[in-house]
Amino acid sequence: MIPQPLAVNRTDCDRLRNDSTGKTNMNLKKMNKGLDFLREKYGAKNGEIVLKDGHCFVGAVPLLPGRMERKIVELKKMTENGTLEGVSTLRFAAFAPKGTDVEAMLAKELDLAAYLGASDIVRVMAVAGGAAINVLAKLANDVNVSVEIGAGLPKGETGYDRHEIIAKRGVACDQTVDTHTKHESIRCWGEKGVAEYTDVDTELFGLTYDEIWNVRAAFALLQGRADAKIWKAAWDKATKVAALALAANRDRAAKTIALKKGPDTNQAIKVAEVR
Amino acid sequence: MKPVKIAMMGMTHGHTRKYYQTLIDNKKLDWVASCAQDEDAKKVYELYDTGVPCYLDPDEMYRKHPDIEAVVVASDNASHFGQMKWCAEKGINILSMKIPTFDMEEYNEMIAMCDKAGIVCQIELEMHYNSVVRRLKKLIADGAIGKIKAVQATNITLSPVWAFPWQGDPKASFGSVERLKKGDPRFRGGALCDHPHVFDLIRHLTGSDFDYIYAEVAPNLRDGLEVEDMLMAVGKMKDGTAFLFDPSWSRLEEKIKVPGPGWERFPKRMEVNLTITGDKGMLSCDCFGPNVYHNGAPNDRYTVQYTYFDEWVGLIDEFVDCIRNRRTPLINLKWHKETIQAMLGCYESIATGKIAKIG
Repeated sequence: MIPQPLAVNRTDCDRLRNDSTGKTNMNLKKMNKGLDFLREKYGAKNGEIVLKDGHCFVGAVPLLPGRMERKIVELKKMTENGTLEGVSTLRFAAFAPKGTDVEAMLAKELDLAAYLGASDIVRVMAVAGGAAINVLAKLANDVNVSVEIGAGLPKGETGYDRHEIIAKRGVACDQTVDTHTKHESIRCWGEKGVAEYTDVDTELFGLTYDEIWNVRAAFALLQGRADAKIWKAAWDKATKVAALALAANRDRAAKTIALKKGPDTNQAIKVAEVR
Repeated sequence: MKPVKIAMMGMTHGHTRKYYQTLIDNKKLDWVASCAQDEDAKKVYELYDTGVPCYLDPDEMYRKHPDIEAVVVASDNASHFGQMKWCAEKGINILSMKIPTFDMEEYNEMIAMCDKAGIVCQIELEMHYNSVVRRLKKLIADGAIGKIKAVQATNITLSPVWAFPWQGDPKASFGSVERLKKGDPRFRGGALCDHPHVFDLIRHLTGSDFDYIYAEVAPNLRDGLEVEDMLMAVGKMKDGTAFLFDPSWSRLEEKIKVPGPGWERFPKRMEVNLTITGDKGMLSCDCFGPNVYHNGAPNDRYTVQYTYFDEWVGLIDEFVDCIRNRRTPLINLKWHKETIQAMLGCYESIATGKIAKIG
């Protein structure tokens, strides 16, 4: 556990860890060790995770760890297996400590919007206030997306995110009903205050939340379950839309994004090892 | 390392399906065959389309796959002894479901026959491979809350009896037909027999043995069930730790034949939650959370969709390691005996209305 000066400490405190200078406290050595373990156990091509401008890559391919998070995997499944029918609106939120790179947060959430909504973003409007920015976007399939982004939490806080899918049949969310606090697996009131722990992967036990999903993303790529071209194209789109959202705020005008021809970048990837 | 040739047997246990993905994915294993207890179990097995052949006669399976090195005995509790004997006679390593048997004579015989055959016999208590439990054990070992003084733990689920009828059959579940207590129409063999985890976990967390236990059954939630579905137990470990356990089937379910979406009526099918008080702090733990939540198909009810099921991965890794490197599993027959005795102590207490001394 990383010691924190605050009353509540959390082990997954690296969830939104990149600050605006691109610095990270992810431990690449540990991550690559975890990746080697998975490759040897299940079989996969050689490859290494590297960090460029605060984002993880394997070679020239940007990783999309958000798509690997199990909660996102389950939400994606629900949109495809008939649990939810007739998706209308996505309501997302992400809050992180002061200094976090808002544009990087936006890119991640907008990529997840396209992924879970199964359609590219074609229009984006945003209004910022202080360390927060509120985004309203439209997918090509007419689904609405709202994203609340805030980078105003005290330093050392873990952050909080929420992904809600509202459909004609069913609402799905990665946060529980009737609470606005994040559920944690363990809450420990010890002599030094309260500490919270959420461990999500037995095989990668000891890595932080962000480290785990980057390793899983790299592994999916090296196993060929994720397509390098698709991820590169998806990340290009997400970063462009994030930049346009900031421009929309500056210009007080929605920005339109032309649909690109090419492969569907929002298909679910195979998650054989994730149950 | 040469992959372990593994088979499954019985195919009637509620955990059977949870092995399929791991047995297929894990390169240290070569899943060569399955043997169903009956045609019904075979039909259900075939729904999962594993591509692994399924037999109805274990001897036929063995004739066709004489190189089987290990078997997951995935059957009703009453069948375990015979199937384990079959394995031991052939020198086949065993992964047993969580209740090898409640008959202590049989239990001792199981120990003797596995020792004689020199085989690995691991008991499936998969919670040890749950990442939250791993963190919990580390925190306790690191002294995060000091010495444990009290533990409250639930192992509460829906009842699997509609999909796995043997779990409502006293003979198949408990091994013999014994009334819960004088004047009670119900028999031993219900929820308690399904939920050994908390009885085991407290031994690991405290490093202590059971001293005594007191249990009470409550009125059943399900009409027509011959066995208990609601009970609680309190007691003390030898190191003074007080405990309260809830091993009930307190979450109602739809009476479906094959587990799947919409099985649960209460939003969450299964909960293993602990609150632990130590002399330097307190801890609460949800071993199966957080998750994702929805009210979509098939029943349009608020439902918890689990995101974590790593347990079977670690469990099988340990089993393979024990076979190849001749190690003793964490949960072996000898260790597990006291857990079974504590569960039997609950039934004894229910019958007598008094505490049951354990060990």
